[in-house]
Amino acid sequence: MNTGALGLAVGATLLSGMAAADGLWPHKDAGSRDLLKADDAFRLLAAEREGRALKVSWDIAPGYYLYRKRISVEALAPEGARVDAPELPRGERIEDEYQGSAEIYHGSLQAVLHWPGASAAPQRLRVSYQGCAEAGVCYPPQTRLIDVIDLSH
Amino acid sequence: MRSILLIVVACLIAVAAGYGFYRYAHHAPAVASEPLPAGLQFSGLDGHPHHLEEWRGKLLLVNFWATWCTPCLHEIPQLVKMQKQYAARGLQIVGPAVDDEDAVRSMQGPLGINYPVLSGTPDAMIDIMEKLGNGPGGLPFSILVSPDGQIVQRQLGEFTPAQLTQLIEAHLPAAAS
Repeated sequence: MNTGALGLAVGATLLSGMAAADGLWPHKDAGSRDLLKADDAFRLLAAEREGRALKVSWDIAPGYYLYRKRISVEALAPEGARVDAPELPRGERIEDEYQGSAEIYHGSLQAVLHWPGASAAPQRLRVSYQGCAEAGVCYPPQTRLIDVIDLSH
Repeated sequence: MRSILLIVVACLIAVAAGYGFYRYAHHAPAVASEPLPAGLQFSGLDGHPHHLEEWRGKLLLVNFWATWCTPCLHEIPQLVKMQKQYAARGLQIVGPAVDDEDAVRSMQGPLGINYPVLSGTPDAMIDIMEKLGNGPGGLPFSILVSPDGQIVQRQLGEFTPAQLTQLIEAHLPAAAS
């Protein structure tokens, strides 16, 4: 028998036992240590205007996702400005016994918006979104106010 | 063949030893816990204001949840089971909802919630959760409060059924024989 291999196997299984116990026994402050703050999990990067289109972008941290149906954008300025519903890419479909069918996004996300012809180009937006961590924690709906960067000039 | 058998036995003993050592090391008397902050006020779906102090004397599990929170909805049936199983021994679960009251009312029945559901504006609830140690504001978020008003456990994310049972059993008086 290879003594070294035996020692390695025993050591690995000893650690496995401890790891199993760790998973079954809750830490006193379980879960909060590793969860990102919402602004780090779902980084709202920018709202940019190019021509007649607005692009709102997010950088979603690995292990986190946004819900398609929870994304909304509203124009706040100038007065009377409006935006149409955001155009979003196809997301990943998930099924849940409580929430039914939903689309989610990982990684980078960009929403494209247009505004009615008679409306002034939006300069400030209210962007709302909601998402969760794959680890099984969900964040309350987030709302941020963001100025539009005009790339047309 | 005999060598392989010896290795397998040695590994099984090692797994058990590792598991047992970990449980021993973490079964020490509770480390210093902290008092529940005073004055945390909620509304109830019953229309009355509530403070967590009104459940002093019970082992109180405060579970923050929302109807849009899938892990919360997965966890609640287990909480309902625990409330039913351990109420007579002094467990009281309360469920502050970080959500619109109408949405909460619509889910209360289908989920079979058998404990008080509390409410408040989302901003107020997030503020309360931050005071209770949930800086990121994620859900589900639970705290376990001893009968004398000390926070003895926090949990961000779902409990597994095994974790929940072990936690409650560890803090309730032993069942009468």
